[in-house]
Amino acid sequence: MSTPKNPKRKKMVSDILINGSLFLLVALWIIPTIGLLVSSFRTRFDIQTSGWWAVFPHREWVKVKEFAIPENVDPNGVMEIDGVTGTFQEFRDGVSTPDGRKVTWVGNKRLGKIQIQEHRWVMRTDFTLDNYQQVLAGKSFELKNPDGSTRIVQGDNFVGAFLNSLTVSIPATVIPILIAAFAAYGFAWMRFPGRRILFIMVVALLVVPLQIALVPILQDYVKLDLNGTFLALWLAHTGFGLPLATYLLFNYISGLPRDILESAFIDGASHFTIFTKLILPLSVPALASFAIFQFLWVWNDYLVALVFIGSKPDVQVLTMRLAEMVGSRGNDWHLLTAGAFVSMVLPLAVFFGLQRYFVRGLLAGSVKG
Amino acid sequence: MKKSFLFVSILLIAAFALSACGPKATPTPAPETEAAPTDGGSYYDRAMAGEFSGTVVTMTGPFTDEDAVKFDASVAAFEDATGIDIQYEGSKEFEATISIRVEAGDAPDIVDFPQPGLLGTFVAAGDVVDVSTFLPQSSFDNYNQSWWDMATMQGPDGPIVAGVWHRFNAKSQVWYPKKAFDAAGYQIPETWDDLIALSDQIVADGDTPWCVGIESGAATGWPATDWVEDIMLRTTSLENYDKWTTGDLPFSSPEVKNAMTILDNIWQDKYVYGGRAAIVTTFFGDAPTPMFENPPKCWLHKQGNFITSFFPEGVVAGEDYDFFYLPPIDEQYGKPYLVAGDIMAMFNDRPEVRAVMEFFTHGEALKAWLASGGALAPQKDASLDWYGDDVERGVAALVAQATSVRFDGSDLMPGEVGAGSFWTGMTDYFSGVADMDTVLAEIDASWPRK
Repeated sequence: MSTPKNPKRKKMVSDILINGSLFLLVALWIIPTIGLLVSSFRTRFDIQTSGWWAVFPHREWVKVKEFAIPENVDPNGVMEIDGVTGTFQEFRDGVSTPDGRKVTWVGNKRLGKIQIQEHRWVMRTDFTLDNYQQVLAGKSFELKNPDGSTRIVQGDNFVGAFLNSLTVSIPATVIPILIAAFAAYGFAWMRFPGRRILFIMVVALLVVPLQIALVPILQDYVKLDLNGTFLALWLAHTGFGLPLATYLLFNYISGLPRDILESAFIDGASHFTIFTKLILPLSVPALASFAIFQFLWVWNDYLVALVFIGSKPDVQVLTMRLAEMVGSRGNDWHLLTAGAFVSMVLPLAVFFGLQRYFVRGLLAGSVKG
Repeated sequence: MKKSFLFVSILLIAAFALSACGPKATPTPAPETEAAPTDGGSYYDRAMAGEFSGTVVTMTGPFTDEDAVKFDASVAAFEDATGIDIQYEGSKEFEATISIRVEAGDAPDIVDFPQPGLLGTFVAAGDVVDVSTFLPQSSFDNYNQSWWDMATMQGPDGPIVAGVWHRFNAKSQVWYPKKAFDAAGYQIPETWDDLIALSDQIVADGDTPWCVGIESGAATGWPATDWVEDIMLRTTSLENYDKWTTGDLPFSSPEVKNAMTILDNIWQDKYVYGGRAAIVTTFFGDAPTPMFENPPKCWLHKQGNFITSFFPEGVVAGEDYDFFYLPPIDEQYGKPYLVAGDIMAMFNDRPEVRAVMEFFTHGEALKAWLASGGALAPQKDASLDWYGDDVERGVAALVAQATSVRFDGSDLMPGEVGAGSFWTGMTDYFSGVADMDTVLAEIDASWPRK
């Protein structure tokens, strides 16, 4: 406990507390990601047989000598091997010798071997780029022809799916933002009959789960012959994203200082001029933060893409490729680690690229005139 | 988190799609009765003559990745010869999307169902074309009758043949690490008693005999259902098995309970690698891995022939591993074989689609796949010589010699049970959450009643 007489010291303690808990949270958050990253460089067998933390230095019993079971021992009784005695079960667990080694029986009574083990510091550092290679270049499958010869068939790679995801995500981010910005301005600064009720409807749409709209929309798409096209997906994402976009941008735009707009009106500016010349530049932080939301949502979306464009190789998006990569029965699950990191690259770039808009105070000083 | 969200979403859609199923606006396209096989042979022959060149047949199903490549390879020759372009769209979430697509009127021409129970739903709604209206007799003669029995389903106007069987997997075999097994001097068991004696011997030698894992994400529990089905086939009559899959023989009946008890006796701490507690937490694909350590940590693994794709890289069939038939328990029920497979059902009736369906009844449709491994052919004209490795050839030969063949029961049961409570029930029981009577009663209670 710090004494109340020393406010400086008190502040230091609270700083430590805050920073400490922040650090703890960050660590909790980031440890699984580090594990994933480490695993993505390990072979499937390594992942199966030891944890990713085994790449860090740790102490382990390491085999230094191995030999066949001496002929004179009876595995069903008490045995003496290499100077120590024990039963079969005890040797299975390892019997310690006075010099700190361990004599261990590996295998069963029929096929056993004796290992002399030492407790040593080890690191498992046999990393591989195979996972990334298979993800980026596609898996190669060996097919046998009926005549017995083999040929290699190269599976789909990530590139096509990556481009498809971009083709889907960018318009599906830009379109809703454009529409929502207009709508938000209208709701915030224009007076027209039914404004309240319309706005309440938009907000109410926020709680409607998109899943219930899938079948009716698909039926319409089939009639319009839109199904399986990128346009279908852009429209769907636009529709599903609009309520939140409108609501978020409304909150921001309606909070802009009235003075700026009034002076613009007095100067004779039209709504359109005000929107393009004043509102849009001032709203960049809000637009950017919504763009991040929407982009991440569309980039990571699986369900909507699955329903509206399906998984044909020429249109399938990254999430679908990622799911397919594990094989029909999930036999290549180890590729998910590398796949996850490859698919993460762009969202991270977008986030860090736009993140400065969160912090930049565009409004600072604008009212003082 | 994300997975469970997706799962819930898919359930929601499926429920929505089904609830909207009521009276159908579009009537079933009635098969055109154009006296097919007389004018210029069957549709397959007409296709081979180039009549349908330039047409496209769309397909949907669960083949992705490696399976998709192998499927493409096995239809390539047919496509070249006929000029029909078969476009297969594989999806991991095929079961969920197909309901939506059919409901929205966007059904592909042919759909590939790994679970006949799901196909039954569409047959009942009248969405599926009866293949018996156009397939020639030679196609029917090319399968054992039991396959056609399994393909016959109840449509709105009576039973129809809902599809043709493509590839299948056999499930009644036990894998073992051959090298170590032989070196240890173990013998392949011929009877159930031998199998238990072998297990006891392995225990006495200081190891655990069985590699077992039933974890499989949202489908956790399914490997256990295979076990129960295999034991059911070995301890009760085929009539009882069939009644069980249709819901007429309850899970709480003595027959099912007996099968569960036999399984329970094997899945004990002393017999299972990692102990009973590890069963539900071990991924089914990782379960056989300890078998390939040197020396092996467990020695026996019962699973379908597809499991070889999970074996560590570099192990050689017939050298590092081999299989034996899961021995009969009660001799009077013969040597039954449990199988699962893909049934191709037809949703749009066009001549070129008929030709492709007929093509699937020929062993030729699987030839390239058999050579590359990963499939077995139910068609009689598929020669054993076509198989690429001895292990799959051996499995295929065993199935051909089996006294009876039955389809994976959980795939025949309605989805609520076969892909739901049966899985979760097994998981609950072996994780110790519930006792046997409770589990069986809960599964019975989950059967959809009309």
